[in-house]
Amino acid sequence: MSHTAEHEVHHDGGTKEIVKVTIILSVLTIIELILGFWMIGMTSEGLRLAIKGSIVILMLAKAFYIVAYFMHLKHELKNLIMTIVVPLALFVWFITAFLTDGNSFRNLRNTYDPRFKEQSTIKVEKKEAPKHEEKHEEKHDTKHEGYLDEPRTTH
Amino acid sequence: MSNEAVLHAHSDVATHDAHGDHSHEHHHHETFITKYVFSQDHKMIAKQFLITGMVWAVLGGLMSVLFRLQLGYPDSTFPWLESILGKWAKGGHITPEAYYALVTTHGTVLVFFVLTAGLSGTFANFLIPLQIGARDMASPFMNMLSYWFFFGASIVMLSSMFVETGPFSGGWTAYPPLSALGDASPGSKTGMDLWIVSMALFVVSSLLGGLNYIATVLNMRTKGMSMTRLPLTIWALFFTAVLGVLSFPVLLSGFILLIFDRNFGTSFYLSDIFINGVGALPNEGGSAILFQHLFWFLGHPEVYIILLPAMGMVSEILSVNSRKPIFGYMAMIGSLFAIAILAFLVWAHHMFVTGLNPFLGSVFVLLTLLIAVPSAIKVFNWLTTLWRGNIRFTPGMLFAIGFVSMFISGGLTGIWLGNSALDIHLHDTYFVIAHFHIVMGVASMFGMFAGIYHWYPKMYGRFMNNTLAYIHFWVTIAGAYMIFWPMHYQGLAGMPRRYYDFSIWESFKQFQDLNRFISLVAMIVFAVQFLFLFNFFYSIFRGRKVTTLNPWESNTLEWTTPIHPGHGNWVGEIPEVHRWAYDYGKDGKDFIQQTTPVGADESHH
Amino acid sequence: MSTTTTATTPKLWSGGKSPFNVEYGKLMMWYFLMSDAFTFGAFLISYGTIRFSTNGWPDPNVVFKSFPFAPEGVNAPLVFVSIMTFILIISSVTMVLAVKAGQNMDKKGVTTNLIWTIIGGIAFLSCQAWEWNHLHHEGAWWGMNPFLNADGTASSTNFTNYFFTITGFHGFHVFSGVIINIVMLIMTLMDKFEERGHYLMIEKAGLYWHFVDLVWVFVFTCFYLI
Repeated sequence: MSHTAEHEVHHDGGTKEIVKVTIILSVLTIIELILGFWMIGMTSEGLRLAIKGSIVILMLAKAFYIVAYFMHLKHELKNLIMTIVVPLALFVWFITAFLTDGNSFRNLRNTYDPRFKEQSTIKVEKKEAPKHEEKHEEKHDTKHEGYLDEPRTTH
Repeated sequence: MSNEAVLHAHSDVATHDAHGDHSHEHHHHETFITKYVFSQDHKMIAKQFLITGMVWAVLGGLMSVLFRLQLGYPDSTFPWLESILGKWAKGGHITPEAYYALVTTHGTVLVFFVLTAGLSGTFANFLIPLQIGARDMASPFMNMLSYWFFFGASIVMLSSMFVETGPFSGGWTAYPPLSALGDASPGSKTGMDLWIVSMALFVVSSLLGGLNYIATVLNMRTKGMSMTRLPLTIWALFFTAVLGVLSFPVLLSGFILLIFDRNFGTSFYLSDIFINGVGALPNEGGSAILFQHLFWFLGHPEVYIILLPAMGMVSEILSVNSRKPIFGYMAMIGSLFAIAILAFLVWAHHMFVTGLNPFLGSVFVLLTLLIAVPSAIKVFNWLTTLWRGNIRFTPGMLFAIGFVSMFISGGLTGIWLGNSALDIHLHDTYFVIAHFHIVMGVASMFGMFAGIYHWYPKMYGRFMNNTLAYIHFWVTIAGAYMIFWPMHYQGLAGMPRRYYDFSIWESFKQFQDLNRFISLVAMIVFAVQFLFLFNFFYSIFRGRKVTTLNPWESNTLEWTTPIHPGHGNWVGEIPEVHRWAYDYGKDGKDFIQQTTPVGADESHH
Repeated sequence: MSTTTTATTPKLWSGGKSPFNVEYGKLMMWYFLMSDAFTFGAFLISYGTIRFSTNGWPDPNVVFKSFPFAPEGVNAPLVFVSIMTFILIISSVTMVLAVKAGQNMDKKGVTTNLIWTIIGGIAFLSCQAWEWNHLHHEGAWWGMNPFLNADGTASSTNFTNYFFTITGFHGFHVFSGVIINIVMLIMTLMDKFEERGHYLMIEKAGLYWHFVDLVWVFVFTCFYLI
């Protein structure tokens, strides 16, 4: 007797719900992709930002459906839901503070570090750029390796 | 079989009865290995944590004595140092490299191994099942793993002290570039690799432990033990575990990025670096401040991971030994909760002078100063619990009162440091050293001592010697103030921390005598701790025997177990709980245990 | 026994039973995932912080534009990664079905769906391996970034550093998820759960697997879309 009762409490929503959530997740992903394609080659910074914002909202919606239905959190007791959702609110300040400080660090450097500012305005030639850049980096890399090894052998 | 029966089987029947009803049989099967080494009994694991923590406390304390020797007597030589430290003390004089290594290891060891593992590891393991009425932790096996990961971390950290280039020496906060570049200092080479490995093991240990504590407190309370009937120790240990589970993973992420910077040529934390003798590094675009953010996102909750268990135990001990209910039980829980939340919101107050955005800094000032509110609530509640109490000055009680004293003295300077404008002057001076040693270091040590003296009869079925304990207490509290109080003056005068030799600075020469005084007291206090250690180990075998179940006449459940509880804690049924833990001096009765049913004519509290 | 677990009784918190009506293992799994969410969160937030503190950043549509077996120089941004995303979503669905079958004590259903989930996981890992390999051939690796910023200026290596570290850490989670699922499959085939009378282990493995999918939702958005 308790078998059925338990079922009702814990595992409501059947295969129908799974199909529904699958479709919702697919649709959300497809909208995300459409927005992503739309952004390609777009020059308006403001519109790009708006699209990125919408993608983030869609991402959160997807996360909600996965956690609520696939992970069954929606069908757990409210207490359990609260103990899991409430600590996640810490992410709000975690993200805000980190990104604000990152942004501020860029502004600081753009203001007080002329080399940093200058570097971000020099364009690398288009066609050969990747090759050139690659060599550049590899040279650096070997130098880096060398310097790492050096102290172990000589110093 | 129904799902529900399964649920039940798992949460209660399986764990409880398996260890409970058959606990007698278990005893006959136990070998030395299963009882003392790979034990799954929470009480034994607690003792393992405690004794490992004590070993580290001695080593960490010894390190502080060694570097205080340098600070107090920069011009003298001690030939015996060379015989124990070898090349690290050439000519009887601690080398700068060794000095930094000592400072770094002292910090790491005391913060993580002694005051995190040794404190919450010991008492969460020992008290949670006993005070909530459970046979053991939710998962005794994971609990055992938690200790052994900590043991592994200890071994790796210990071994880092014996490598050719020395242990890590860039400060316990491991800021890059010192921690990210092997060329930065001798200690940044193998020593740092071992340091990271050790800390990674430690993070795993604290996660395994923390998940277990949370699940146990939530799921395994005995019948009648609602959350608001829990002793405050359990509330504090519960929030401690939550803090650890949510903040240690962030540290782990920070370390993983650090490992990539060290070994795989990335530049997460590195940019625009020039090393003498090596030249300019190719690393571009990283941010050393990012590491500080990640580190302090753990680092600040870590402060409360250290402090909360002490707060919880002190609340319990003050109430028991004042023979009065704790004042403001719900306010105590509320303030613990507020502290736990705020712990996650204030990390950047360690970074006011890093180039942090000043506006962002001002928000962190506001959030930081908010911590004063729950802290003050706790302090006033402790004081009002003592007020007109029928106080018994047991050693545990003395240390609990000492904790309150330390928490007030150290907490007040926190209000200074929390202001970014003042912090510009005080940052990285001895003022900061004094602040956090008093409020976090010494206060938590006092909480730990209080806990050990108070629950020793439950741990070993014997008492510790009172005379030795009183000497230990008075010398330690007087010494702690004599060591750290003068540091406030030095810090206000601008004396920076982590300097090797102040005698060559015109502005700090005046503190030479004061430094010598501090070093002298530090050595005396360190010596007195051996009195405690002797008392502890001697009493295990020779201490006065406990003859009654409830020597402190306390209300909580651990005192309803046998004097030497076996694995499973209670013989027969687990007792049911009928009231909160603080019915002292109620209706003319000195104390009413939690297991006593509420009488018909009893007044409401 | 049946009286003790009525989910709606107001005495949930009064002790003697789980206030959430779940066994401790599932509770621990949830809290472990929460702490793991902070690990991934810290990674992604670090990535965001560095991106915010840098002037330019490569355009993902230029970087991730290739497709296996397609001719050299094909321009198909987002296509390959959307296939990876759908593989993971579908494997999550089969995992839900496996959990569901487990609740109904349907051994055959558990087996089939677990096998599909494992195949999905392996397929995802293979896709990731191909993509890493391809990028490596283009000269990208930890400490090496052949790509330019969207505005044509030189890019710092942190673009590839974070890409490989975070997708690598996610891939490691997928890998351990596959291993867990294989263990679950073996245990199912050995009738371990039938003997126990419940398939609760599958539920816990399912939680882990969905978490891996969840993380990918964030990684996918942060690296490929915005």
